[in-house]
Amino acid sequence: MEPILAARGITKRFPGVVACDHVDLDVGAGEVHAILGQNGAGKTTLMNILFGLVQPDEGTLYLRGQRVHFRSPHDALAQGIGMVHQTRRLVSAHTVLENIVLGHPRVRGFLRLGGARAEVEALCARYGFTVDLGARVWQLSEGERQWVEILKALYRGAKILILDEPTSVLTPPEVKTLLAGLQALVRDQGVTVLLVTHKLPIVKAASHRVTVLRSGKVAACLRTAEATEEALVQHMVGRDVAFRMPDRPAASGRPLLHVERLSAFNDKGLPALRGVSFSLREGDILGIAGVTGNGQEELAQVLAGLRPAASGRVHYDGRDVTRLSPLDRWRLGIGYIPAERAEVASIAAFYLTENTALNYHFDAAFTRRGLLDDAGLRRLTRHILSTFHVKAPNEYARAQHLSGGNLQRLILGRVLSRAPRLLIAQLPTQGLDVEATAFVRARLLDAKAEGTAVVLISEDLDEILSLSDWVAPIYEGRFVAVLPRADADAERVGAMMAGLLGNGAVR
Amino acid sequence: MRLGRYEVSLEPRPDPPTIYTVLTAVAAILLALVLSSVLFLSAETTLLGAYRTVFSYAFFNPHGLLATVQRSIYLLFCTYAFLVPLRAGLWNIGLPGQVFAGGLGAFAVPFFLGRSPQGVLAPWMLIGLMVAAAAAAGAAVGGFAGTLRARLQVNEILVTMMLNSILFWLVAYMIKEGGPFMGETAEGESFSLPAPLYAPLWGGVPFTALLALGAAVFLDVLFAKTALGYRIRALGENPAAARYGGINPAALSLLVFLLGGAFAGVAGYHTFTAIPGIYKIPGNYGFYGDLSFYGIISALIARRSALGAVPIAVLFGGLSLGARFAQGALRLPFGVDYALLGLLMMTFVASHVLYSFRLTWRRIPSEAVQPVPTELPEG
Amino acid sequence: MWELLARSLDASAIFLLAALGELVNQRSGVLNVGLEGLMLFGGTAAFILTQTTGSFLLGFVGALTIGGLLGGAHGFFSITLRGDQVVSGMGLWILSFGLTTFLGSPYTGPLGLGRIPSVLGLSPFFLLGVALVATTWLVLFRTGLGLAIRSAGENPAAAEASGIPVVAIRYLCVAFGGVLAGLAGATYTLSYNPVWTYNFLMGWGFVSLALVFFSMWNPWILLAGASLFGVMWQLSLSPELVLPGVLSRYVWRAVPFAITIPILVIISTSWFRTRWGLAKPEALGRPYAKG
Repeated sequence: MEPILAARGITKRFPGVVACDHVDLDVGAGEVHAILGQNGAGKTTLMNILFGLVQPDEGTLYLRGQRVHFRSPHDALAQGIGMVHQTRRLVSAHTVLENIVLGHPRVRGFLRLGGARAEVEALCARYGFTVDLGARVWQLSEGERQWVEILKALYRGAKILILDEPTSVLTPPEVKTLLAGLQALVRDQGVTVLLVTHKLPIVKAASHRVTVLRSGKVAACLRTAEATEEALVQHMVGRDVAFRMPDRPAASGRPLLHVERLSAFNDKGLPALRGVSFSLREGDILGIAGVTGNGQEELAQVLAGLRPAASGRVHYDGRDVTRLSPLDRWRLGIGYIPAERAEVASIAAFYLTENTALNYHFDAAFTRRGLLDDAGLRRLTRHILSTFHVKAPNEYARAQHLSGGNLQRLILGRVLSRAPRLLIAQLPTQGLDVEATAFVRARLLDAKAEGTAVVLISEDLDEILSLSDWVAPIYEGRFVAVLPRADADAERVGAMMAGLLGNGAVR
Repeated sequence: MRLGRYEVSLEPRPDPPTIYTVLTAVAAILLALVLSSVLFLSAETTLLGAYRTVFSYAFFNPHGLLATVQRSIYLLFCTYAFLVPLRAGLWNIGLPGQVFAGGLGAFAVPFFLGRSPQGVLAPWMLIGLMVAAAAAAGAAVGGFAGTLRARLQVNEILVTMMLNSILFWLVAYMIKEGGPFMGETAEGESFSLPAPLYAPLWGGVPFTALLALGAAVFLDVLFAKTALGYRIRALGENPAAARYGGINPAALSLLVFLLGGAFAGVAGYHTFTAIPGIYKIPGNYGFYGDLSFYGIISALIARRSALGAVPIAVLFGGLSLGARFAQGALRLPFGVDYALLGLLMMTFVASHVLYSFRLTWRRIPSEAVQPVPTELPEG
Repeated sequence: MWELLARSLDASAIFLLAALGELVNQRSGVLNVGLEGLMLFGGTAAFILTQTTGSFLLGFVGALTIGGLLGGAHGFFSITLRGDQVVSGMGLWILSFGLTTFLGSPYTGPLGLGRIPSVLGLSPFFLLGVALVATTWLVLFRTGLGLAIRSAGENPAAAEASGIPVVAIRYLCVAFGGVLAGLAGATYTLSYNPVWTYNFLMGWGFVSLALVFFSMWNPWILLAGASLFGVMWQLSLSPELVLPGVLSRYVWRAVPFAITIPILVIISTSWFRTRWGLAKPEALGRPYAKG
């Protein structure tokens, strides 16, 4: 097969890391080519280079046999390469149509949106996709936003479409729709698709060929049909990894948390959490499964005291804590691990000891007459570094120099060292590599074994199913059901997350 | 940026060592001094002579040295007033307004209680009361901005700036054209402080010097060692993380503005009632408001260390006085001290760049230089 | 009465020009709190140039140039170096405050030239401002360039991914903001009040900055706000026209500043924010790093 897009010896260094190390890549015309790799394997950097967002230090790109040099996405777009990023690149305050025409070479001088609207509608009709072009992007669902980005690339005349982790924020049914749509594009329109992912099932389901990256290097390039899952994992990780979680007996304790018809608004002042009720016992894990943006964030924040409840009650250990401040909740043994490690759970410029103090500055054991106990915090930090296997030079490193996985280990260690009775863990393994993920999950199970009640919020259905005692799929601010683990199978929960199944057995 | 065959770029400096902090501060000040030679070009002496005039008056002339100390105390309080909110990530550019409020607060005490020496209270009690009133008035003005910031996230830069203008005109109202604080003989300035209420001096230096130095130690200990200081710093570095850690941003925003305002109020007390030869709110009180901006620069250059700001404030105090003296002695145009303020600010911003970035260059591989046509064919 | 109104609109023109430039650079995502400094520098440069050469044209050209250069300097710090935009803005303000005091002081006093011709007592600058409001609105909301500017201010990563040169767009906008700030300063020193004194603005720039926030980043609302503040400003200078004998004239001078505070409070309430807050450019004040 004649490669439509080829890379030779692409190398990109960032301070401290080599993101891409002499990467060669051949993408055939009219194929779905998967790029598989763990987080940090260099997938996104490579795609950013193909799209001109990042310039390589070494190496060359060839498009249809011609050497090309992209100084910016502008150049790549002009050559018919479009990219759909992992995080949405849409202006949420603007309309769908404005977003689609943004940056199009014909949008010079006065905007003639009427003409553009007709063209985009024709495109939509051709691909069997409907979206209100006048709607503001923030009003759309994640799945719709992704289609807007794909439409936008097609409207620009993209013949090569790069999709970076397109399935990470989609529900299982949305993933199916997306993959079917992509295959139609390739089959009927002759589009070439580069699909970047770290999920094996996606690769197996959708791609013709797969290039596996590991630590910035190409580990393998295979025909998908000929590759086994085990082989792909081995190429991706470099060795065998045992995924299995140890089975532990469920040891339900006393009732600890009782939430009654809890509602809250999001930052835009719109209802985001609409009357959620559940109870939780000590030593139980409640897994809240859902795609980000369905009210999980607001639920976690209300439980942690960071967002006021619009209505409803939270009872903890027999008392009403609905209006308690975050500080009082920490004191009562409610611990919170937010999703944003670098933005919320840590302070980049602070030393690790100072980051430890974030959960201890109010603790009588670590303050004396208003003075912080530096020696005690240092001892505690050293203890966390060693028991949670945080790779850091010492306790005076700054948080900004820790990798995501190590930062998460530090945060987890810090919160768990308080021995919380209730732990709210929001996307605790998102973006972590296989090892760190396994470590975090094992620590959550340790906490459960010691009687901590855990509210686990995750988008990863496997994670929810392997850890939880109770599973609550959340959709548009409501629990679709609260199922005992035994009744929760992937198919059913996946459908509930997508809002496709109505109320099941509500406890 | 491309220079010939080299790619030159500024890259963030990951973690500058402490010594680098000191060096960039010194470099910024030296550069400002070098740049200020332009100001002395029209002087009727050599460049070196002009600098000698500035420094010898400010630091070696007994009269000048005393004035330098007086002014340094003022600048130090202004520095703290800016520095405390800055550590919480907030910009208090309301120093002039809070200084004016402090002056009004201090004069309110003799106005109501002891305009005549045989008042009810002993002078030392009245002096204590004046300091407290000045601090309270400054804190009230600062706290106003702090409350709005704390409760509603109102932009503190705009509010404090508006308060500067409001307080400026309020002082004018109080001391001019028959205002309540107007002097009996002089038009356009406040009544003079009764002699018993002059601040006690030791060798010409008022007791506020002790307060200023004590405050420096207090602030550095507060931020380095205490839980409260930790909370303020956490809030300044990352408000979301601070909230997550159970820190109350509203209470702290208010607190830092109260504290900052109180420092500025004491600066007002010091400059209007503790400096021999003034002892009133003069008609050109606006000048002292302008001077307070030196406090912003010394806090920024000292990179938030209160003790580190002490030598800087002394230097700035001396420079601004020496420059004003040289202006008269060498017949320079008005405003040399203002120009210095501007130059210092400019070199601070430049040094800030040097502090956080480093210049890197590398050769561009020859094959990568060919551009690609970017024009899209129509359609 | 007409005279007072004409004079008020002259004052409005200064608020309007300065705030309009700031509105455009904020729409592109760059906050410049040093607006007052740019106006001081532009005004002083215009005054000195015009007085020494006798040419108003040269004065205006000088003001526009220096405003554009200072805007560009702010751009270098905040766009290229991705520095803290408040540090840079404050730096520009204090720099300008200090340097203009020194540079301008030999020229202290009246301009001593004829007045710029006016139509029925109204100087041309207000009309120019209205024309610029219309143009700015048209460009921002009805052209591809405007869509690019607004996108750069809302979500620069999205704009860059669509092929919009975010850095160039932002530079263009800060330079434009600087040019208009220079023009506003020159309007003050050459037309509105052609007498140079040190720190002649005393807060006009900061009021203009507040007006941008009041306008919800819409040029037409900005025009209304600037007109209102012009009238208020002029009334505060001659309060005897409305309330003779009530309060000292010094207290009246504080009124326009005092009024901005409750307005700032109202637009900061959660009620207002959830209703109208979407207008604020989402990436305002945040440096943008490629990739």
